Amino acid sequence: MIKFEFVGLRYGVGPEVLSDINFTLEPGSFHFLTGASGAGKTSLLSLMYLGRKPTRGLVSMFGQSINKLERKQLWSLRQRIGVVFQDFRLLPHLSAFDNVALPLRIMGRPEKETRNNVGELLEWVGLGDYKNALPLTLSGGQQQRVAIARAVIGRPKLLLADEPTGNLDDEIGFRLMNLFEQLNRMGTTIVIATHNHAIMEKFGHSRLILEMGGLRVEETRSSLRRKIEGVY
Amino acid sequence: MKIPFRDFFTKDRRLGVAIGRGRYDLPLNKDEGTNFLRLLIALMSFLAAMALVGSFTLDSMTQRWSSGLENKLTIEIPAEKENGDLRNKDDMASLLKQVEAVLRNEPIVKSADVLDDQDIQNLVEPWLGKDAPLQDIPLPGLISVELNSSEPAAMEKMTADIKVVDSGIVIDTHEAWLQSLLKMIGSLRFAAFVVVIIIAATTVTAIAGAIRSRIAVHKADVELLHLMGANDEYIVRQFQRHALTIALQGSLLGTLTAAAVLFTIKLVSGGDTALMLPALSASAVHTVAVAALPLVACGIAALTARFTVLRSLSLMP
Ligand SMILES: Nc1ncnc2c1ncn2[C@@H]1O[C@H](COP(=O)(O)OP(=O)(O)OP(=O)(O)O)[C@@H](O)[C@H]1O
Ligand SMILES: [Mg+2]
Repeated sequence: MIKFEFVGLRYGVGPEVLSDINFTLEPGSFHFLTGASGAGKTSLLSLMYLGRKPTRGLVSMFGQSINKLERKQLWSLRQRIGVVFQDFRLLPHLSAFDNVALPLRIMGRPEKETRNNVGELLEWVGLGDYKNALPLTLSGGQQQRVAIARAVIGRPKLLLADEPTGNLDDEIGFRLMNLFEQLNRMGTTIVIATHNHAIMEKFGHSRLILEMGGLRVEETRSSLRRKIEGVY
Repeated sequence: MKIPFRDFFTKDRRLGVAIGRGRYDLPLNKDEGTNFLRLLIALMSFLAAMALVGSFTLDSMTQRWSSGLENKLTIEIPAEKENGDLRNKDDMASLLKQVEAVLRNEPIVKSADVLDDQDIQNLVEPWLGKDAPLQDIPLPGLISVELNSSEPAAMEKMTADIKVVDSGIVIDTHEAWLQSLLKMIGSLRFAAFVVVIIIAATTVTAIAGAIRSRIAVHKADVELLHLMGANDEYIVRQFQRHALTIALQGSLLGTLTAAAVLFTIKLVSGGDTALMLPALSASAVHTVAVAALPLVACGIAALTARFTVLRSLSLMP
């Protein structure tokens, strides 16, 4: 699904924020991405959602080296990736409903299907009464849920979430984690950047740990079991 | 039940609401500078319409004058002989008769009219007044000639034949006068053409600038759409439709204002030809050309927006 080989990233002429990153994520796997603040979690995710090109090294997504892809192929590749940004990035002048509907509209799905799916999902994340609200009138946690709904509405093959439960209490946090689990069971590969140990303990997926610019993979008992059972 | 087109009339104008492919994800129609751009395009269309009509008018002026003077010439028997003595009346009459006879035998001549005293009086009246004592003033003999063609060889033969009668006879083909007039009109038309080009260039620059500033304002949002996998066409379409709408509104306003102004000029001048200006031309072709201005403006706006946005998008990863 994702393969990084000796990937390095620097901003401008600054020092390398990420260096010699090597890892492979299998299709259908579930990972937490963790590391201290400033360790480069957001930067690593931005390489995965093709928001940036690495300064060195090779990145392959969906089995294709991204350097070799044409512009057109990048569009359809991006449509298969759902992203929850750390700062949400909701379009400020669009209602919660239209923000969530955006990926489906970009994909050109029929409007009727879009309306049904978006309405249902917004109910599910507890924002049924806020369909027409503009993002600025929503609380941080509500905006976060809109951002999550937008990331999952298109049933992406890869879901990247940057601190998706940061502003949420545990109850709703777990509820949304269950949403990700469900998506994962349907075949979506998931990477979630988080500091939240309670969540990492509870769900027990393998961890990608960023330290001093490098990346270390830490399997857990449950992730190893899944591997052995051949889930992926 | 939602009425599909209700959104069209509300302030948000379909912002984020899908009806077919007509949707804005970006609030372009609420951006600052939209009114300014609309006004600018209106002004440009107004000027372009004026320049167009001006050049059409010059066109028809040229045609009228050249077709009026073509194949016509005037033969003048000077009132003075070459040695400075005045010709007497009988002398003049006999010369006129001889020239007339020569002309009658020229195949190229369609008709020839000797201007009598009354005709000449009419001609000089504006300068000398109604009661000018013509008998006391030495007048030249004038013959107005209409030709079948202006074929050079036949013209030369005719000139030679006339010169035989008297070498002092002057043959005025109006050519020199017409040439300089046409030259002047030509440069006026060129000026009109340059004006139209400048207008088009200014419009393109203004629209491109406006679109660039809109992209800058919405950079984060455009980037987000791009990251979500929106293809270039999806994003371009919104800017293009926005530019097209503004251009249509602006250019209709400008062109209609120009039409109103021209119509008023026409009414006031009442087709008066005292200034030798033909009435403002309004042939079908010209009307269509001016009416097509808004379409041209829309085309320019849409294409400019298209290429400006495509360029910015090509810079994104
Ligand atoms: N756009 C940028 N330009 C320059 N430097 C940047 C940029 N984005 C991030 N950095 C730098 O890269 C390093 C890693 O930042 P990043 O945002 O990836 O960390 P993070 O792990 O996501 O932190 P946090 O947990 O606080 O979100 C930081 O030192 C930061 O200063
Ligand atoms: Mg971060």
